[in-house]
Amino acid sequence: MAELLLDSDIRIWVFLPIVLITFLCGIVRHYVSVLISTQKKVDLTQVQDSQAMIRARMLRENGKYLPKQSFLMRRHFFNNEESGYLKTVKRSAAPQPMTDPNMMIEMLKSQLTNVLPMIAIGGWINWTFSGFVTTKVPFPLTLRFKPMLQRGIELVSLDASWVSSASWYFLNVFGLRSIYTLVLGENNAADQARIMEEQMSGAAMAMPQDPKAAFKAEWEALEIAEHKWALKDVEVDLLQKAEVDCLFDSFSFANNT
Amino acid sequence: MATLDLDWEDVRDQLRLWREDNTRHSEEVIDMWTYCLKHYKHKLGDERWMVEEQVVIAGLDCFRLDVAEPCLISINEQFPGSLRVRKLKAMRLEALERFDEAIDIYDSIIRQDETNSTARKRKVAVLRGQGKIPEAIRELTEYLKKFMSDGEAWQELCDLYLKEGDYSKAAFCMEELILTNPHNHLFYTRYAEIKYTQGGLENMEMARSYFSQAVKLNPNNMRALYGLFLSCTHVASSSKSTVPKKKETQRLAAWALKEIEERYSKCRTNTMEGTNIFETFGSLSLTDKA
Repeated sequence: MAELLLDSDIRIWVFLPIVLITFLCGIVRHYVSVLISTQKKVDLTQVQDSQAMIRARMLRENGKYLPKQSFLMRRHFFNNEESGYLKTVKRSAAPQPMTDPNMMIEMLKSQLTNVLPMIAIGGWINWTFSGFVTTKVPFPLTLRFKPMLQRGIELVSLDASWVSSASWYFLNVFGLRSIYTLVLGENNAADQARIMEEQMSGAAMAMPQDPKAAFKAEWEALEIAEHKWALKDVEVDLLQKAEVDCLFDSFSFANNT
Repeated sequence: MATLDLDWEDVRDQLRLWREDNTRHSEEVIDMWTYCLKHYKHKLGDERWMVEEQVVIAGLDCFRLDVAEPCLISINEQFPGSLRVRKLKAMRLEALERFDEAIDIYDSIIRQDETNSTARKRKVAVLRGQGKIPEAIRELTEYLKKFMSDGEAWQELCDLYLKEGDYSKAAFCMEELILTNPHNHLFYTRYAEIKYTQGGLENMEMARSYFSQAVKLNPNNMRALYGLFLSCTHVASSSKSTVPKKKETQRLAAWALKEIEERYSKCRTNTMEGTNIFETFGSLSLTDKA
């Protein structure tokens, strides 16, 4: 197949503008989201709950290092039927995300800064710069890459390593991450890939966990936790280790002489 | 001054390391700031504010208000109305011993942000600074009811109870610390020491077990070795313990003694390495740090 020669105007009026536009859009998005985002307020009870959960979990895991008396005392504090912490503290069930107006505003804001510009700019780029072959990747690719790299150009005979303008836009959107970190610092809001990840895992993460259910689970786990004192044989261990060391020393000593 | 020859980037990295490790090194920070980094603060970028915050705290520690105040002013101009800056201002008032005003500021911070744990902890520190240990204990227990997995706070509470001589409560706090990090030999040593101080055969045996655990985790812990030896001799000489138990304990005591002797003979031949353990022991206490 004959080599294609691209017009240098394509470089100046298509290739570079796409890079510039995506980059500037990322920067603008970052500052807009900084402007309209509000700091998340954490509830004191929420903090208290999570701290209590951490402490209960640590008791369950490391309780064996405490004397039995101390372990039972702590378990009593958490699990006692009448006065136990996990039993008496009443928390309301988790609020529904849709009924909470604050949550709605948050979601709206994230939509506003993430999805809308993505659609608008993407559409505009598609419309203005459609149908150009912009660049070529410097290695051969198989036919499978054609739909990925040559969006907007349906040419069967075109080599797969040529990149179309629409695909070049998408490559930029996802590939400018390290440039943004360089310019805006870590954890900036311009990064599309991170936002995508968040949306993927967001459904599971954003749901505030139900403290009532979590308390109940922790209560159960603690209830069946058995106390097996880890330090029961520590003295014997020490002496045995000393004896072994001693034997080994004398053995090597005998070997040396 | 050695810091004069230092590269400012090295100094910056050193300060960053200290910030991340949560160690203060106040005097060194002040030296590094005044002799080196002060002239490069425009090169620091966004890190400048964190460094200045560090310098403010260091300056207040050493009562070098001439160093702390300019930094505080520049941070204040950059972040007016920030709670973190307000905390620093209150700390300055503390350094000037205007405790009531400082407490007022901390209260206002807590009103604005209920979950601000540092302001609550500073309040305890103010009370301790005034020598009002019982009040400090009360405040700290209130704090721990809300933030119950804060190891630092438990450590401080243990310290305060020890100051008051309330050993059983101090032991409780130490147990809490062991729960947070069961691999720290210093916690075990301190716990065993508290038990040893409480006295009685049962506590003495407990102390023996915990000293042994500390030695097991770190065979170079001299303090634990001494403690092991002492608690063993106590148990062995007690009239209540049975004969086989006594024998076992005596063997352990002999072993501990032998270990101690060995360590010292090594120290005599080599350089004095034994001082290390006392340095690390200083880290058990939050406030008595050099």
